[in-house]
Amino acid sequence: MFPRTTVLLATAFALNAPAFADEGLDFFEKKVRPLLAERCLDCHSEAKKVKGGLRLDLREGWVKGGDSGPAIVPGEPDKSLFITAIRYSDRDLQMPEKRKLPDEEIAILEQWVKMGAPDPRTSGTVAKKQTGLSLEEGRKFWSYAPVQKPAVPAVKDAAWARGDLDRFILAKIEAAGAQPAPDATPEALVRRLYYDLVGLPPTPEQIDAFAKAAAVNRPQATEKLVDELLASPHFGERWGRHWLDVARFAESSGGGRTLLFKDAWRYRDYVIQSLNADVPFDRFIREQIAGDLLPAATPEDARRQVSATAFLALGPTNYEEQDKQQLRFDVIDEQLETLGRGFLGQTIGCARCHDHKFDPVSQRDYYAMAGIFASTRTLFNYTDNVARWIAAPLPAAGPNEVALLAHETKLAALEKDLEGAKAELTKASKAVTEVTNKPGVPVAAGDLPGIIIDDAQAKIVGEWKHSKHVRSYIGDGYVHDLNQGKGEKTITFTPSLPKAGRYEVRLAYAHLDGGRATNVRVTVLHADGEDNVFIDQTQVPPIDGRFVSLGKFRFEKDGAGYVLITNDDSNGYVTVDALQFIPEGDATAAEESRDAANPQRAAAAKRVRKLETDLKKLKKEGPARDTAMAVRDDDQVADVQIRVRGVEKQRGETVPRGFLTVALRNEAPAIPANQSGRRELADWIASAENPLTTRVFVNRTWTWLFGTGLVRTVDNFGTTGEKPAHPELIDHLATRFVEQGWSVKRLVREIVLSRTWQQAVATPAASDMDNRLFAHANRRRLDAEQIRDTILSVSGQLKLDLYGLNIGGAGDIDANDFSAQNTEYAYVYADTRRSVYTPAFRNKRLELFEAFDFGDINATMGQRNVSTVAPQALYLLNHSFVVEQARAAAERTLASSDDGDARLVSAFRRTLGRAPTATELAKCRRFLGASASLETWAQLHQTLFATLDFRYLD
Amino acid sequence: MNCSLHSRRSALQTLSCGFGALALAGITAQQQARAALPANPLAPRAPHFKPRAKRVIFLFMSGGVSHVDSFDHKPRLTADDGKMMDFADLRSLAKTGKSPQQRVMKPLWNFSQHGQSGAWASDLFPEMAQHMDDLCLIRSMHTEGIAHGPATLFLHTGTTTFIRPSMGAWVSYGLGTENENLPAFVSLSPALGNGGPRNYGNAFLPAIYQGTAMGRAGVPATEATIRNLKSPRSPEEAKRQFDLLRELNAEQLRAKPGESELEAVVNSYELAWRMQGAAPEVLDINGESPETLALYGIGEKETDNFGRQCLLARRMAESGVRFIQVNYADNSNNPAWDQHSNLKKHGEHAKAVDKPVAGLLADLKQRGLLDDTIVWWGGEFGRTPYAERNGTGRDHNPAGFSVWVAGGGFKRGVTYGETDEFGHHAVVDKVHMHDLHATILHALGLDHEKLTYRYAGRDFRLTDVYGHIVSDLFT
Repeated sequence: MFPRTTVLLATAFALNAPAFADEGLDFFEKKVRPLLAERCLDCHSEAKKVKGGLRLDLREGWVKGGDSGPAIVPGEPDKSLFITAIRYSDRDLQMPEKRKLPDEEIAILEQWVKMGAPDPRTSGTVAKKQTGLSLEEGRKFWSYAPVQKPAVPAVKDAAWARGDLDRFILAKIEAAGAQPAPDATPEALVRRLYYDLVGLPPTPEQIDAFAKAAAVNRPQATEKLVDELLASPHFGERWGRHWLDVARFAESSGGGRTLLFKDAWRYRDYVIQSLNADVPFDRFIREQIAGDLLPAATPEDARRQVSATAFLALGPTNYEEQDKQQLRFDVIDEQLETLGRGFLGQTIGCARCHDHKFDPVSQRDYYAMAGIFASTRTLFNYTDNVARWIAAPLPAAGPNEVALLAHETKLAALEKDLEGAKAELTKASKAVTEVTNKPGVPVAAGDLPGIIIDDAQAKIVGEWKHSKHVRSYIGDGYVHDLNQGKGEKTITFTPSLPKAGRYEVRLAYAHLDGGRATNVRVTVLHADGEDNVFIDQTQVPPIDGRFVSLGKFRFEKDGAGYVLITNDDSNGYVTVDALQFIPEGDATAAEESRDAANPQRAAAAKRVRKLETDLKKLKKEGPARDTAMAVRDDDQVADVQIRVRGVEKQRGETVPRGFLTVALRNEAPAIPANQSGRRELADWIASAENPLTTRVFVNRTWTWLFGTGLVRTVDNFGTTGEKPAHPELIDHLATRFVEQGWSVKRLVREIVLSRTWQQAVATPAASDMDNRLFAHANRRRLDAEQIRDTILSVSGQLKLDLYGLNIGGAGDIDANDFSAQNTEYAYVYADTRRSVYTPAFRNKRLELFEAFDFGDINATMGQRNVSTVAPQALYLLNHSFVVEQARAAAERTLASSDDGDARLVSAFRRTLGRAPTATELAKCRRFLGASASLETWAQLHQTLFATLDFRYLD
Repeated sequence: MNCSLHSRRSALQTLSCGFGALALAGITAQQQARAALPANPLAPRAPHFKPRAKRVIFLFMSGGVSHVDSFDHKPRLTADDGKMMDFADLRSLAKTGKSPQQRVMKPLWNFSQHGQSGAWASDLFPEMAQHMDDLCLIRSMHTEGIAHGPATLFLHTGTTTFIRPSMGAWVSYGLGTENENLPAFVSLSPALGNGGPRNYGNAFLPAIYQGTAMGRAGVPATEATIRNLKSPRSPEEAKRQFDLLRELNAEQLRAKPGESELEAVVNSYELAWRMQGAAPEVLDINGESPETLALYGIGEKETDNFGRQCLLARRMAESGVRFIQVNYADNSNNPAWDQHSNLKKHGEHAKAVDKPVAGLLADLKQRGLLDDTIVWWGGEFGRTPYAERNGTGRDHNPAGFSVWVAGGGFKRGVTYGETDEFGHHAVVDKVHMHDLHATILHALGLDHEKLTYRYAGRDFRLTDVYGHIVSDLFT
């Protein structure tokens, strides 16, 4: 804070402003110009810098203003941003940034503005410079231009090519005077196919079977194997994982207070199932953006579609952000960024604060799309101290839904009964209150239900007088403020609550008709914020003549929370006796102890209690409805205002909801006024007309199969991205993709059956070190999941169960409860299922994933980094997982045969997919010695897991 | 953001990627990293200009130390103790747009002046107070984020929300390491919460720049070590096994000659093998003299744990680790220094860190290490000058707080900047967290505007488009 007096003083100065023009200019020259020069122009002049777009070296500069709009409103200091800034009264706008001006100088500038800001400096004009690419230029850029079906080029070696894909590749190889590499050996090919299509190594038997078939007819054998693998449920696990990288899939929010996403697995399963079922990719897009808005033929479809929208919800949201509007816009930004990179290869997020510096993406475009997500509900509410996502109820199929509905109908009826019973009780209680309205009798705190804090246990500030004058007190009397020292006295009750939850809070005071204050301010700080309640102490306390209810509030366990009574501004005696906290659902217990003398009330209380018990029981016994992380259209649908420089509170012009202008070919789809526009957005993205969507996806697929893309900046197809090595091939693939019904399996099939993909690994030619011609296969590192899944399959421990929740102990969490993080922090990774099911916690990851470049799961990652670091080596040499699995693998090896060499061959074939070379055999024999123990065999297996041929795929 | 009037234009000038540069931009981050980095990406790299310091030890006080009870002397708090007054409470404003009156609360510790410099410090940290002549005390810090998570992330990564590399990762990227047997960036006993791994993460920088966590909050410092450093086998067995790996890899490499990446993998095993030998020695404090142990408070119940962490920090600094973070933290959502109530508890925490920190300063000084080591002490924010819940504690205060830096070319015995008369908002010579980042990078010879990494088509910096170097702090 800055003491108010300073500001008042400054304003007082300004009141004497002279109003004559000459006098004004004189004032400017003598007082203002030197001040501006000394204090402002270093950062706000053409000669030095123009920070925030604001120039103060010219009249036009401040008239036009900077990025936040006009800086000075002549004659209106209070409406001038310039004055707000120098006053330091707005924390977000303080200038000069380093040090507040002395009060006299502020007063001068205020006076100047008050005078109408006379300023003779009027030469020149101030224009904003355009930075990004114009729309027109942008539309000519390759990725924004419409996809064209290119002519297939002619090639010299017509026999080499198996299809058009090969012709595009070969034409460039031939043009460069190079040669394609020979075909990969069947042994290399079968490993490549298994790892690339299902992410698992082939067993020795599978290798043999393929080699045998390939010896007869290689193309036929390959085609057969490819079709088998594409039909395997493990295809979805491998390819779903690729998409999960794009979708920054995780099962907790990470960051500040990481929260467990207990339903996120439904999205993971949705992705795997969609790939296994070869759901057309355009539908896959629509479901993830607007699944909740699409018609669903069956409950199963509805479940899938709603679960799909978790794509928008499972980002690394900072639920703890205290400014919930800011949080809302942060969520929107994350959604746009993920959607932009994931589907369109665009860094839309850059335009949150300003027009994109390089790409034709304007801030208007950004807020046009932001309006769609601002009209979409992603957060459950905007009031919780720690916010949370929406857990959408899912429909069930057939009889289950009938049972659920029946159960829910029963629940609703019971809840209605309960409501009625409570109303009865209240009525009856009022009657009781009137009975006990006479001067009451003291009661001990222990005789009252709930948690009682007596005045004696409160934190007392200022002089409060103890009294027993009014007899209905609790404990040992009450206190009052002597009706003196207003504003100096407070009493604070700090409860120590045994568990988080909602509590009814009641204040006991000593009522008298005369002399009491009618406006006692009581402040309740609870988990969802702060509330002020004003109490009229000339009124009889409505509950038992002792208490008044302050309302029901949520509190954290032992968390920040208090009730503060102040005598500030009160107009009479303020009395405070005690505070009562009654846990929700327990409210009737509070009445329990009371007058059996009133049978009407007692009966009502009994009925309420019974209904509450019944309700609890019914909830527990009945079927529970599944929920999914999801979004929905908000009740309020509206366009949003531009946020100047991305600052939530600095609002500019309102922009109608819409899409990325540069990628629009025809009219933008109209967004109905009463809907968010997500459906139209999804349609626009999932359209064959969209120049980005199909290009980006076929390039991703290419990257996942070749290890490197046709465009290597897979998530960036903007002007700062790489231009494609084979632009026609991208368009060819994109066209084919749409022609074949957006089928991912067909796209994959076409690529892996190409001769290009089936080439052998070779040393890059000096003229093409990066292999941009794709004239041979690239040797590729096994990724983190392949390493883990292979180790587990070699050891025989891999469990191939499909789908489902895989976090032990996951359940509903209270975001505001401090124990909410425990599941993640205390988690022990122990299961041996495939890595795609390994809990994907953002703050506590599986160590193997961390070490082997699984990558950051906080943002879209179309291609993982490949690093070579000592911690990876240390992991393979010393980590208990590797040591234990090597031992299990050794047990299998020992069981496989009694013969040492046969055992070695088995170990090598299972681990590396090939028999040992003569040298390897010799080295291993020497290592094992005459009578190797299980432990020695375990060491041998562990060593194989660390070899180059294990870690690399040819 | 507080720096909302900054222009992104100045940042753009440093991006050097106008259209002329687009042709060069066509490579992935990964390939760029490969191309731009030498064979060993952690090899020492020349800074942008002559550095004042070579390394950083950051003593992170998680939860927010109360500056008005420690280093920011505000007599008005005592004079107006108990009065209800208007303060712009940031949390209330963020949540409701309004701020109710607050009760001024006097410091619980007495302030006095210390040393030749006469710098003020309270008796909360009596041992550190003895070193006031060594410290460069900044009392005009301000930062972003009202809750711990956002503010802690901001302290470490320069953003409350976005996924960005941590400062230690940036420094490792900029300077490499002086000892390839050790990581370049170590975080000792980091917490899982309040940002967790993101506080030492590499985000989009190559993984090699990620901080290496040693131990974690809640686990005794005696157990803090580099993961997987110890072989589960006997030394002889381990050697025999490693020799087999060498032989098999040599054989497999022979079949695929000329692949530099495969050679790099082979080298990574050799490096790991050397680390297994060298690193434990650095991490073993048994050879330290009883005097040294006593200096850090090792062996005394209250100070043993943090003392060990500080001593490890010195040993790693000596051995060439570039960025060492020592965490006084726990895994809760109300981390160590977070005294919303019962401010007296600050005393317990102070007891735990005071002697070890003073010991570290004295030890670095006597070994001549303080000259090229920056010691940075502070938390993610400070605390309010008024009582939270009108009771016995203070709420978070990102608008004004104190940190100190020592050594590494920073002025000694200097107090810089001021908060208002209550210690609530920084008002004179304000230093934003971005500015502190820029200034520390500058001391290391790194220009915060040039230390960039191209990702998703843009050059990123630790300081985004902000940050001023506070050159007044340098000798």
